[in-house]
Amino acid sequence: MAAGFVILAMALLLIYLAGEGLKLFVVDHFSVFQFLFSGDYQPDTHPGAAIFIVGSLSVTLFAICFGGPFGIAVGIFLSELAPLRMAQILKPAIDVMVGIPSVVYGWLGLQLLVPLIRNATGSPGFGLLAAGIVLSIMILPTVITLSEDAFRSLSPTLREGSLALGATRWQTIVRVLLPSASSGLTVALILGIARAIGETLAVQLVIGNATQFPRGLLNPTSTMPTEIVQDLGGAAQGSMLEHALFSMAFLLLLIAMSLILIVRYALRKRT
Amino acid sequence: MGISVQPPVSKSTLLGSPGVRARRATDRVATVVLWGMAISIIVMLACFVLYLLYLGAQYMTPDFIFGVPKEGEAGGGIGPEIFNSFYILVLTLVMTVPIAVSAGVYIQEYARPGRFRGFVQFSAEALATVPSIVMGLFGLLIFVYFFHLRFSAIVGAMTLTILNLPALMRVTQEALRTVPDSLREASMSVGATKWQTITKAVLPSAIGPMTTGIVLIAGRIFGETAALIYTAGLSVSANSPYDFSLTHTAETLAVHLWYTRSESTVPDVARIGNGSALVLLFMVLLFNIAARVLGRTLTKRLTGKSS
Repeated sequence: MAAGFVILAMALLLIYLAGEGLKLFVVDHFSVFQFLFSGDYQPDTHPGAAIFIVGSLSVTLFAICFGGPFGIAVGIFLSELAPLRMAQILKPAIDVMVGIPSVVYGWLGLQLLVPLIRNATGSPGFGLLAAGIVLSIMILPTVITLSEDAFRSLSPTLREGSLALGATRWQTIVRVLLPSASSGLTVALILGIARAIGETLAVQLVIGNATQFPRGLLNPTSTMPTEIVQDLGGAAQGSMLEHALFSMAFLLLLIAMSLILIVRYALRKRT
Repeated sequence: MGISVQPPVSKSTLLGSPGVRARRATDRVATVVLWGMAISIIVMLACFVLYLLYLGAQYMTPDFIFGVPKEGEAGGGIGPEIFNSFYILVLTLVMTVPIAVSAGVYIQEYARPGRFRGFVQFSAEALATVPSIVMGLFGLLIFVYFFHLRFSAIVGAMTLTILNLPALMRVTQEALRTVPDSLREASMSVGATKWQTITKAVLPSAIGPMTTGIVLIAGRIFGETAALIYTAGLSVSANSPYDFSLTHTAETLAVHLWYTRSESTVPDVARIGNGSALVLLFMVLLFNIAARVLGRTLTKRLTGKSS
């Protein structure tokens, strides 16, 4: 029964968010195309969500470009290099990083990162760069843990064979282990993306929340989650704005679901 | 490596091929870089902790920690928010633990590999990737819009239950997987039923890692924000600051930190933000330490072995 509850919860989640998320198109007759690709955002008449979609994609891309390789490198370190003592310090540290609430990351970004960027560039400090850096840090635990698992699950004979042929440790890592672990690393990166794209408050506190396309790293912009959390409180029930916000939530859900399907596919390929 | 035992090889051949020396140098550089990256994570975390201490330590007075929040004027405390965080945490655990543990036990001990089990696993994975803000909207839709409940402690806790179910299920499954099959077989062979085997032999020996996992997740529930904004509400109960009522709004500490910065009108935002952030961080550290200590003690007490 309890196991069935999980299925039920997932099914209800999909049905309810689809039901509410599609109202914009069914009840308000707003076109899906306009919603996805129009940058013209008039909350009550023409809620084109392209700004928020682009915002979400850009911060996520930034996070995965920086946090991804860094996380994989630390995963390699933990599985191939780290002496026991070092692992005993690093792993609890990573657990703590997982535990730090996202709003505290946001607050740190606000107090530490935004002033740093402001002083270094003369811009207001809020924007894509600040949000991207905060997210890069936040996805690290996910990427590190999963890529460490990916390397650990490789057969030791691979390592021994390569070393026996005279390869250095680094050559072994780059030429033998990385390619063999690629599907596991894909999973690590994709779940990192999933973590980044749905992150709300840490991003909301540092991104500047401007309804405009990001024209550069220092530009304030918005993402789908930040827009939802900002405006849902003020949206009347049944209004077009409310429907548009639920459509964004539904889109986020669809993205998360497709990511999990890709993960399934990547894992099936491995076995 | 074989090269050194070969008869004279001219230096040019050595360097002309991919070069042993160059390869060794790359290896050394890579080792140093990887160490640097790993250490930088620890340094970064230490910086976070120290910086929050530097910002917030001065506000750690009883007035702040136990005082009631104020709207529109300076000097508010965070007492009721801390209370609400714990209250919602307890409510959530009371609902999540039985469901997640029984689901985990079912999947790991009873279900045969097959379509149903695969489907449950898939649902759990899918549920685990749902962003917490989306889960918050789901809570809003189903509990507030559909069942006409108000923003309240119980609505927040029910939303968090669904949010944390997959993680806790996973913890249970992994803990059960560490129990060797020989234990199950031994228990069955002395005549125990499957149920007795699970409750008397398997669960006690899995309790250590399970407790560690549950307490770590409890730390995450304590700091959850996005899923609570539109389910538990943005203010403390209007009845009394410390309200056990399930149906009144129950703003938690993490939500308060966000609300203070983003929406409220108090003049001392920095004071409340810095103080709350430090308290939250302190709680996370506490939960992490407790997770390890509890897990270890329970394993020792119930199985006699140290892990």
